[in-house]
Amino acid sequence: MSNLIRRETGHAVAVQEQVGQYLTFLVGTESFAVSILDVKEIIEIANVTRVPLTPDYIHGVINLRGSVVPVIDLSARLSRHCSEVSKRSCIVLVAVETGEGSQLIGMLVDEVREILEIPPANIQPAPDFGTDIRTDFIQAMARVDDVFIILLAISRVLSLDELSLLSDLAQSQDHLLANAD
Amino acid sequence: MSELDAALTVFAQEAEELLTDMEDALLSLESKPDDSETINSLFRAMHTIKGSSGLFGFNAIVGFTHEAESVLDKVRNGERGIDAELISVLLNSKDHTAKLIEHCLTQKDAALPASLAADGERLIRQLTGRQTTDMQQSDDSAQLEIEGGGEISVDDNWLISLEFQKDAFRNGMDPLSFIRYLRTLGEIKQILTVASEMPAGDDMDPESCYLHFKIAFQSDANKQTIEAVFDFASDDCDIKILPPNSKLEEYVNLLNAQDDNHVNRLGDMLVQVGALTQNDVNHALQSQQANIDSEQAVPGKPLGEILVEQHVVQQPLVDQALKKQEQTKQKLASEANYIRVDATKLGHLINLVGELVISSAAMTLIVEKHGLSDAGDVAASMNALVSSIRDTALELRMVQIGETFSRFKRVVRDVSKELNKDIELYISGGETELDKTVVEKINDPLTHLIRNALDHGIESPAQRLAAGKPAQGTVQLNAYHESGHIVIQIADDGVGLNSEKILNKALANGLIKPDHDLSQQEIYNLIFAAGLSTKDQATNLSGRGVGMDVVKKNIEALRGSVEIDSIEGEGTTISIRLPLTLAIIDGFMVGTGHDRYIIPLSMVDECIEMNANECEIDDIQHYINLRGQVLPYLRLGDYFHNQIADSNRKRESVVVVKSGQTKAGFVVDELHGEHQTVIKPLGKVFERLNGITGATVLGDGNVALILDVQGLIQAAIKNKSRPAPFLTSQRIQ
Repeated sequence: MSNLIRRETGHAVAVQEQVGQYLTFLVGTESFAVSILDVKEIIEIANVTRVPLTPDYIHGVINLRGSVVPVIDLSARLSRHCSEVSKRSCIVLVAVETGEGSQLIGMLVDEVREILEIPPANIQPAPDFGTDIRTDFIQAMARVDDVFIILLAISRVLSLDELSLLSDLAQSQDHLLANAD
Repeated sequence: MSELDAALTVFAQEAEELLTDMEDALLSLESKPDDSETINSLFRAMHTIKGSSGLFGFNAIVGFTHEAESVLDKVRNGERGIDAELISVLLNSKDHTAKLIEHCLTQKDAALPASLAADGERLIRQLTGRQTTDMQQSDDSAQLEIEGGGEISVDDNWLISLEFQKDAFRNGMDPLSFIRYLRTLGEIKQILTVASEMPAGDDMDPESCYLHFKIAFQSDANKQTIEAVFDFASDDCDIKILPPNSKLEEYVNLLNAQDDNHVNRLGDMLVQVGALTQNDVNHALQSQQANIDSEQAVPGKPLGEILVEQHVVQQPLVDQALKKQEQTKQKLASEANYIRVDATKLGHLINLVGELVISSAAMTLIVEKHGLSDAGDVAASMNALVSSIRDTALELRMVQIGETFSRFKRVVRDVSKELNKDIELYISGGETELDKTVVEKINDPLTHLIRNALDHGIESPAQRLAAGKPAQGTVQLNAYHESGHIVIQIADDGVGLNSEKILNKALANGLIKPDHDLSQQEIYNLIFAAGLSTKDQATNLSGRGVGMDVVKKNIEALRGSVEIDSIEGEGTTISIRLPLTLAIIDGFMVGTGHDRYIIPLSMVDECIEMNANECEIDDIQHYINLRGQVLPYLRLGDYFHNQIADSNRKRESVVVVKSGQTKAGFVVDELHGEHQTVIKPLGKVFERLNGITGATVLGDGNVALILDVQGLIQAAIKNKSRPAPFLTSQRIQ
């Protein structure tokens, strides 16, 4: 947990004092960005194994050099439709801190664009409303060439507590369905 | 890490082991207080800790263990009796020693905290308190009865028995001159003349020697020197020299100090320390031989017994020597058989073996794909080797559960004293082996369950007697293997569970609804529910339920399960089923649609074809008739992905799985056969997922999920098969 806090304050410093580097990608047709410091790796989409009894935003698990890594469908996680896997689809691997160390989680995105340097002056706090994704998922808004890009708060979007909780909920819903018929 | 640090680690480890041994020994002394072997091991534990602490300059430990050691020494020499009180004090001393060691290791130079020092002093007082009166008794017992009349005090004296033969005078031997010469070596304290063989008047031949002598002799000379006095007479005289009791301790110490590196014969050991001379041994060996010759049917007496019979050595010394001999043998055996290995290295090895298993599967796949028949043989033999390497590597981590079990002796003893109950712990199946990582993690849940059994299961002696039960309650710990799992049972003969009370509580808590029709087993399982574990309810419920949800969670994290069986008024049995290992299992791979799943092979009972005639398909009720038995089943594809049943299915198979007493069927499209499965954790995201316990990487690089049979069976029963409720409650009669 302390790591997490340190990371976040680290970001704040980066945001205020120096030009931060951000990886931008497309989900559907929208652009999002995450800090390059959060990204471990970008890989092509390979064979994904579906995990049953999980909500839509759990895309499945992949074999990353011998370890099993969960992949989150970012589009579904941001309350949109499930991604259609295309040639340009990629998995962005990020490390999420847990109580016992960090865990790798993959984010399925529709296309990876570029790495942008965004000066702190162009970064604004998230608006209280006006976006169609949960406000706590937004770390900040970045203005690039007069277009706003949402900077995602990875620790929230990929919050392990929440992911595991929701998969629980989905499951009990499943059971309810099963019981009903 | 410096050399000293390394040495300290070894010291800490050794001390911990010794203290554990000591506790075991003390607890076993409660039941058989006369076991000299055990008392000796206590003494050795304290002695060794004292010695090694001295080496590191831990004076606090040395001071305390010295006191404990001296008390144990007295007990060992029979100068002080051992009773429950002393055992208690010694147990506390053991704990105190552990604290001292911890203190010394963590804060090497800091002074002892006052509380610790006060504890130590109090314990020393308790240890030494009653010593003086006991000493008095021991003096009396040190008198040795000697046949032939009279008593000779042998406290500090050599006891020499001279039995001259009748021809002694004729051969020019004068007993008196020997005795006179003996005085040059030391002081003759007492001399007893035994004249029992002296014939009456006329029959006496003045030239024959009829007299025997028993001499109490004080001297610093060793046995050889004393025996040398009678060298000339050895042909005409039976000479027996018994060393003084004070020497005994010296001999014992010498024996203990003897080289551990090879096993000596008993005689040689005693000669080496000087308790015997070579002559004594030869003599005894001869008579042993004679015995064997004369009574062929009866096996010859052991040398030790003969030596004692011949009065050349005391029984305790022989015992000590025999024990030492045994120890040396054991030590040599264990040194030859065990290597201490760092657990992380072992873990690394097992990980590597896991990767090896995966790549060997990948190779087999490629060989098959390319149809390389000659490479196929090589691949097959390599596969066989890999699987035996896997088994061997996993066995490296297997440890017996006995050690974990015996720790609970102390828990039971302490808790039952605290609660004023009389409870005996019976342990069986301690030799059952399971993975060390599992053993470590099962300790807490077990402690909790045992405490529960002691606290809430077993009634007070008065209540027990009123219920017509023996006043002493029993708790049994048992372990055994069952189809790839280890089963640990905790059984008590206490009050049992009151299902009505549990039901009422669960209803009050809203855990269940009044219209729920629960089997007995399901009611018992309610005590694992988190909502039933507040303290107030616990007392009403005879306490069970406190933290039981945590117990269940811990066990399920190990891919295990818990079952409760109880008869009200007669007791409760809790069975924990655990997988033998957490790393690699034999799996059975099945496929539905495009997905592949692994079922632990140990849980697969059989596979049958779904369309076979003997299976009556009843799609609505979701059960089939398996040779006259009702078998609920689950269509894995449908269940997992909520697909609508395809009317024209291909050939389907039913995999019959069992968990504990329950059976169920999984309907799948394909059977892929056995698969060596390296279990990869799914991570935190999926930790609450029911039905899947882990994942594995297949030879082609894809991931397959491992099914949680237990969870799925429950789902199958809950969802689909109300018609077969007996399946859940077979164990409840």
